[in-house]
Amino acid sequence: MNERQGFKFIAIFLNMAWFASFVLIPGLMVVGISFMTRDTGTFFSPPLTLTQYRELLDPVYAKVLGTSLIYSLNTTLLCLCVSYPFAWILSQASKHRRPLLLMMVIIPFWTSSLIRTYALVILMKANGIINTLLLAPGIISEPVSLLYTDFAVYVGLVYSLLPFMILPLYAVMEKMDLRLLEAARDLGASEYQVFVHVVLPLSLPGVLAGCIMVFLPAMGLFYIPDLLGGAKTMLMGNFIKNQFLTAMNWPFGSAASVFLLMLMGLMIIIYFTFSRRFNRHQTL
Amino acid sequence: MKQWILLICLVLISVPALAGQQRLYIYNWTEYMPDEVLTAFQEKTGIKVIYATYDSNESMYAKVKLTRGKGYDVVFPSTYFVHKMRKEGLLSPIDQDALTNYRHLDPALLDQPYDPGNKYSIPYVWGSTALAYNNNQVAPEMMTSWKDLWRPEFKNRLVMNDDLREVLGIGLIINGFSVNETDPDRIQAAYESIQALMPNIRVFSGDSPKQPLLNLEAFAGMIWNGEAYMAAQEFPAIQYAYPEEGAIFWVDSMVIPTGAENKKQAHAFIDFILDPQIALQVCEYIGYAPANQSAIALMPEDIKNNPTIFPDPKEVKKGEFQTDVGDAILVYERYWERLKTGM
Repeated sequence: MNERQGFKFIAIFLNMAWFASFVLIPGLMVVGISFMTRDTGTFFSPPLTLTQYRELLDPVYAKVLGTSLIYSLNTTLLCLCVSYPFAWILSQASKHRRPLLLMMVIIPFWTSSLIRTYALVILMKANGIINTLLLAPGIISEPVSLLYTDFAVYVGLVYSLLPFMILPLYAVMEKMDLRLLEAARDLGASEYQVFVHVVLPLSLPGVLAGCIMVFLPAMGLFYIPDLLGGAKTMLMGNFIKNQFLTAMNWPFGSAASVFLLMLMGLMIIIYFTFSRRFNRHQTL
Repeated sequence: MKQWILLICLVLISVPALAGQQRLYIYNWTEYMPDEVLTAFQEKTGIKVIYATYDSNESMYAKVKLTRGKGYDVVFPSTYFVHKMRKEGLLSPIDQDALTNYRHLDPALLDQPYDPGNKYSIPYVWGSTALAYNNNQVAPEMMTSWKDLWRPEFKNRLVMNDDLREVLGIGLIINGFSVNETDPDRIQAAYESIQALMPNIRVFSGDSPKQPLLNLEAFAGMIWNGEAYMAAQEFPAIQYAYPEEGAIFWVDSMVIPTGAENKKQAHAFIDFILDPQIALQVCEYIGYAPANQSAIALMPEDIKNNPTIFPDPKEVKKGEFQTDVGDAILVYERYWERLKTGM
C-alpha cells in the first residue's frame, strides 16, 4: 500500500516538475520579455516599457490577427459540418464495427502531420495525382489550380484537425440515452424536431469541446498555410516567428504571444462558463 | 514493485549512452551535404557524427547565440552572419596549421572583409540567387532582367524565396539601389515595386524553391543556383539565368562556435571537407561551387563548364554580396509584413 502511494507521489511529482520546467517557467519568461526593450546584442534588455503592447495596436497587426481568426473559424465550422454526421454514424454503428471505424480516424495520425501535409502537395500539384486522373479521360483539358489556393489550405487544416472534432462529439453521442429519442418520436415529433429539440441540445457539450479543440490549434498551425497556400498571407504564427528570428525583436514577439495567449484563455473561460451553465440546466 | 521497475527503465532509457566514443556535432543547412560524405568521415576517423539541420541563418544564429554555440562543433553561416558572429565573439579561432588541405582553397574567396585572414571561418561553397524558368513555357529572351518578373504573362505563375532580404533586394536592384540598403526611403521604394509584383507571385517557398517549378505550379521565379542545378537534373526544362542587373551572391563558411566541446574533431572534419575528392563529391550532390580550386581541376568538363554552378567572372563582378544591414532589418520586416497582409 505504502509503495503504491510512493509511486503515485513520484508520478504526480514528475508531471508537475515537467510542466513547471517546460511550460510554466518558459511562459513566465515570455511574459517578462514582453515588457523589455529590443537589444541586438542580448536579444532583450532591462528598461521596462509598454511600447511593445502599444505597437500591437497598429492596423497591420489587426489584419494579421483577423486573417488568422478567419482561417481558424472557417476551419472549425468545416470540421463541425464534416464530423457531426460522421460521429453520429459512428455512435450508432454496431458494437463490433465501432473499433474499426475509430481506428480509421486515428491511424493516419500516427504519421507526422508535416509528412501528411507534403502528401497533400503530391495529391494536389499541377502534375499530381488528382490532375493526372482528371486529365487522362479528358474531364479537364488543362490542370486545375488546387495547390497554393485557399481551398488547399482548408483541405489541409480540416484534414489535420478532424479527429479533435470527431472524438469529443462521439464521446457525448455514445452516451446519449436513445430512449429519449424514442420518447420524442412516440410523442409525435418529426425527425427534424427530434434532431433540433433532443439530439442537438444533448450533443452541445461535445460541439463546444470540439470547437475549442479545433479552433485553438488552427491558430498555431502556420506551416499548413505556408506549404499549401504558398505563404502569401501572414498569420499570427509566421508573424511571431519572424519577430523572433528575422527582426530579432524578442520583446515584440513575446508581446504578440502573450496577447494570443490571453485571447485563447478568454475563449476557454467562455467555454467553461457555458458548459457549467449547461450542466446546471441539465440537472434541473 | 513492477511500477518501480518500469520507472527505473524509463529513467535509464532517457539517459544517453555513456560510451567513450569521440563525437562531432554538425549543424548545417538542409540538403547541403551528401550522407556518403558523413559516412566516409566516420569510417576514416572513427568519430561519430551527429547531424542537425536548419533552414535559415536567423534560426541558426538564435540557437548559437543563446548557448554560445555549446552543443554544436561545426556550423555553416553565410557571409554576413560570419561577420556578425565574429564581432559578437561567438566564433572560436581556427588553427590553419592543423588543416593540411588549406592550400586547396581558392585564394579569390579568402581574406574577405567579413573575416580578414580567415582566422574564424573556412569557405565551404559559394553560389548565387538569380532567375529560373521552365523553357517549355517561357522563352529565354523573356528572362534576361529582374524586371522581366513583372511581365503580365507571369500572372500568378512565379515562385519567390520566402526571404525578406532577397525579395526586397530585387526591388532595390530594379530601382538602382544596393541589396544592402539601409535608407528607409529606398527600402520603401523597393516595397512599392514588390507590391506591384504580388499578383504575379504564386508561392513564396521557404524550404525548396525548385519544387513549385518541378510541380508545374510556377513557370519562372527566383532561385538559388544549386536548387536550379538539382531541378535541371530531374527536369531539364528548368533553366537558370543571370539577370543583366546582376545576381545576388553569397559564400557559406565552416566555423567553430566558442562553446564547441570537440574542437579537435571539428578541425579534423573541416580538413576532411577540404580534401579535393570530398569537395568534388559535395559539389556534384548539392550543385553549389566549392571554394576549393583543386576540386575544380578534378571535375569533368560538363560540370566545370556548367554556367549554373560556375558563372562567368563578368557575372560575379556585376553581382553583389549581401552584408549585415544592422537595425535597418526592422524596416525590412515592417514592409514585409505589409506585403503579406496586403496593406
